[in-house]
Amino acid sequence: MDSLAAVDWTAYETQATAAIGAALADSELEDARVHWLGRKSELALALRGVRDKESGMLLNGIRGRLEEAVQHREQELRRLAYQHAAERGVDVTIPGTPVKRGRLHLLTQIRREIEDIFLGLGYEVWDGAEVSTVWENFDALNTDAGHPSRSTLDTFYLDDDTILRTQTSPDQIRAMMTRKPPIYMVSPGRVYRRDTPDATHSPTFQQVECLAVDRGITLADLRGTVLQYFRLLFGPEREVRMRTSYFPFTEPSVEFDVTCFLCDGAGCAVCKHSGWIEMGGAGWVDPDVFRNVDLDPEEWQGFAFGFGIERIAMLRHGLPDLRAFWENDIRVLEQF
Amino acid sequence: MKVPVSWLKEYVELTLPLDELARRLVFTSCEVDRVVRRGVPDVDGNLGHFVVGKVLEAGKHPNADKLQLTKVDVGGGETRSIVCGAWNFGAGATVAVVAPGGVMPGGELRIEKRKLRGEMSEGMILSERELELGTDHAGIMVLADELEAGTPLADVLPLGDEILEIETLYNRPDLTAIYGIAREVAALTGAELKPPPGVDPPRHGDEPFSLQVDELDACPRFIARTFRDVTVGDSPAWLKARLTGAGMRPISNVVDITNYVMLALGSPLHAYDADTLRGGIVVRRARPGEELVTLDGTRRELDVRDLLIADHERAIGLAGVMGGENTEVSNATTSVVLETANFEPLTVIRSGERHRLRSEASTRWEKGVDPEAAELAARYASQLLAELAGARWTGETEVRAELPQPAPIAYRPGYADEAVGLEITEAEQRERLERLGFKVAGDWTVRVPSWRVRDVRRDVDVVEEVARFRLEDVPATLPRRQAMFGRLTHEQRLRRLVADVLVGAGLYEAYTYSLQHGDPDPNALELPEPLSSQQRVLRTTLATGLLGAAQHNLDAGNADIALFEIAHVYLPPGPVPEERWRLGGIVQGDFFRAKGIVEAVFEAVHVEPTWSRVDLGPELIVAAAVQSGWVGTYSPVLSLDGEWSAFELDLAELFELVPERIEYRDVITFPPLRQDLAFVVDETAPAGELMAAAREAAGDELREVRFLSDYRGEQIAPGKKSLAIAVVFQSPERTLTEDDATRLRAAIVKTLGERFGAELRS
Repeated sequence: MDSLAAVDWTAYETQATAAIGAALADSELEDARVHWLGRKSELALALRGVRDKESGMLLNGIRGRLEEAVQHREQELRRLAYQHAAERGVDVTIPGTPVKRGRLHLLTQIRREIEDIFLGLGYEVWDGAEVSTVWENFDALNTDAGHPSRSTLDTFYLDDDTILRTQTSPDQIRAMMTRKPPIYMVSPGRVYRRDTPDATHSPTFQQVECLAVDRGITLADLRGTVLQYFRLLFGPEREVRMRTSYFPFTEPSVEFDVTCFLCDGAGCAVCKHSGWIEMGGAGWVDPDVFRNVDLDPEEWQGFAFGFGIERIAMLRHGLPDLRAFWENDIRVLEQF
Repeated sequence: MKVPVSWLKEYVELTLPLDELARRLVFTSCEVDRVVRRGVPDVDGNLGHFVVGKVLEAGKHPNADKLQLTKVDVGGGETRSIVCGAWNFGAGATVAVVAPGGVMPGGELRIEKRKLRGEMSEGMILSERELELGTDHAGIMVLADELEAGTPLADVLPLGDEILEIETLYNRPDLTAIYGIAREVAALTGAELKPPPGVDPPRHGDEPFSLQVDELDACPRFIARTFRDVTVGDSPAWLKARLTGAGMRPISNVVDITNYVMLALGSPLHAYDADTLRGGIVVRRARPGEELVTLDGTRRELDVRDLLIADHERAIGLAGVMGGENTEVSNATTSVVLETANFEPLTVIRSGERHRLRSEASTRWEKGVDPEAAELAARYASQLLAELAGARWTGETEVRAELPQPAPIAYRPGYADEAVGLEITEAEQRERLERLGFKVAGDWTVRVPSWRVRDVRRDVDVVEEVARFRLEDVPATLPRRQAMFGRLTHEQRLRRLVADVLVGAGLYEAYTYSLQHGDPDPNALELPEPLSSQQRVLRTTLATGLLGAAQHNLDAGNADIALFEIAHVYLPPGPVPEERWRLGGIVQGDFFRAKGIVEAVFEAVHVEPTWSRVDLGPELIVAAAVQSGWVGTYSPVLSLDGEWSAFELDLAELFELVPERIEYRDVITFPPLRQDLAFVVDETAPAGELMAAAREAAGDELREVRFLSDYRGEQIAPGKKSLAIAVVFQSPERTLTEDDATRLRAAIVKTLGERFGAELRS
């Protein structure tokens, strides 16, 4: 009661309010808060000694108003700080604090893009073994004994029956042997051919093959699917065309071209002034391939097509040399 | 194959403009690389500058020993003085002349009137090579004397031609013949196909010839025709022009005829000098140790599997691939044995592979030549030998097996629609097939012509024959699906996640070769025939390739190198190795940089890593094992400059540890109590084990243990270290008090003291 009587609480509140309002920095405000409101302040000590309701209401009222004043001043100081900063002029063109970020390899970026397109079209992704049997890679796919692709000049053999796959089609054979149609799948991955490395050849490259097996599949479905795929990959204006070709595992076989996405078909260096870019091979699955995996070609039909990922990357980004993909130079990787 | 259009026109009329024909062939038949004009350009009256001339005077140039100065009558009463470098003619010769203003083949060079060593030259006297009529450049072309001066040269020489450059598909050996291409054009355009060329010349006698075929399976047919009174010499200009246009070099009339007939009909032929043959021809396998010098001048050791053409004493040709020097037709040849035959593709393919040798002939045999074409080729070549080399046909001997008769195909026109998704009328199908040489019966039994028997064997092959002419019209539809299922597998999604985490952590993804120069595993699978010593072993670790990629970046001057790769490794034993998806990484920096990256990967897939020290060989000075793999720091003895650390995880193993589902833990609202604790402990005590023990000792109320520091030195006894950790105590049920903290800390101190001899520093 003594202390309560000894202090002029009106003056205390006036002085405290003035001190809080005069604080020009967070530290000054904190000092004022500690002095007038802190644990050892006169107000706090008095509050600890309060016994009657009247004094309690008076002192708590003062405390509430002063706390409010501190909060208010805090906001005011923040606003002033921003205002000062704006007046000084922050050079917002100075680079921000760097964040280190790596990159997916361009081939992975494109592979994912292709996978995502086919996932959207309702296809599964198979990425199986690269070492395959001669049967999976050639015999099951109807490749005759004299076909040059079987030659040791074209294919890496581990022994007479085992090779590094020359195409991702062995995955299709495995898929057809392990599950019942309908099958809608893409198989991206590494393939191996005995090509001496140069700007456009590599003994290892990435291929994607697409296989659809269902009832009543036609070459028209192939064309439609290829068209959808290229429109999603290269833009909605693309057109595709099919030309006759030969592959052991499809009959009829076709090559497909897409209108050049750089010149829109007008003719440029990339499309060799033809307006069309060769993209890959395709066809209606040969009935003998179905027989080789114990599927009845009377019941099941299918189409298949394949293309190289590197080629898409090179065409789209203007990369002149395939070997850059395998050098992993950060200066190249970070461009994409 | 290069197709001179003038030649094609001999067999079929071209009813479409050439560019349009080329465009359509691309869809229906073969790739057309380009259409080129060769020879003298036929634009702006250019051909008018090329005329026949009569040399009136010829003598040495007054100022140059190597040049002739000539006066040439070019018709119309005009005489030109022309300086010429050739000496194979004189006054009176009939020559080919280009007047000033004429543009030469290639289109670059325009002939101008100009002074040569002080004498005016008003044009040029031309050689074969200058006109692209052949390769002879030894002198100028001397023409037949009966030609009159001023006659347009285009009337007497094939001055230019258009060439279709096509690429033949594996299944279309019939398109390695001009006549076969003509057949295709006829089927495409509806124009009439003329009968194949060749009429037997009169036969003079019936000379016996000894012919024996020991290998009828590999050589089911062999025709030997003999010719006498052959005059070997130059081929006429038209024949040379055709051959050069088709990309072959004229040699002599006899050899040129065999090449010409091969190009026309697709069946390779060979001519032997009959006087060099020792007693007839035998078709047999090579004998051990036998040798042959082929026409390219190479001495070849023959393999007993090689099929040979031999005489009674020695090898004279590698069947279907190349003839031998010992029986080559020369200028002195007067008697010729002409070979036409059938060789089985595999025999020729294997010989070619063994001897690393291919020829115009072998590329045809490899694809399979029309078995009936041998007879046509013999007939046509005989006609040309008689006409162009004055040869008398004196005999024929043939040995043949039964030629296989292909079974007729039961076809159903509706099959085309089912396969293609485009209705092609029965009438169109029938017409197209018949134009291609198929015989179609009323019940749609289809008989395949001899030139297509290897490719067309089943009804689906017949579908292609009609479909390929309609590929431009096939509509674009999508499969009518009953079920949809497009989703990455669990493992595929985790692989993407791991890659994304590493990219976020600042690493660049690398692609390195599956085949490496070496591998740490001595049992790693090796290619029996690698392409190079740099790519010979199937890797069992990604580390080798990543070291190479790091080195490349270092050499390129790049800084702060951090690479990762996600790819297969191939684990022995073979022959089919076990393939595993691995994650590998290499970073410039110490062990803990690499370890931090691996910890980030574990955290991303919600697996708690457990670390232990491990010895991974002398290359890694610091190495730790973790579930599914390792992290290590490379020894500085490695060629790579600076400090490098690496890691490798087997992703399938790691992903097996990934929890199937992550259960929600309530966010604790009661306040945490933080304390820092420092222990003095033996230097060898692993921090990870101490922290794990602390966790165990304090139980669930120990929310977090974090490593702070590892200090040795002043104030710490030798052989000891001070290990500081931060602990956070928190309960999901209540606010922990100072008493709780004291109790928990005591439990930790007690356990660490008992297990590790650790003492709490005050």
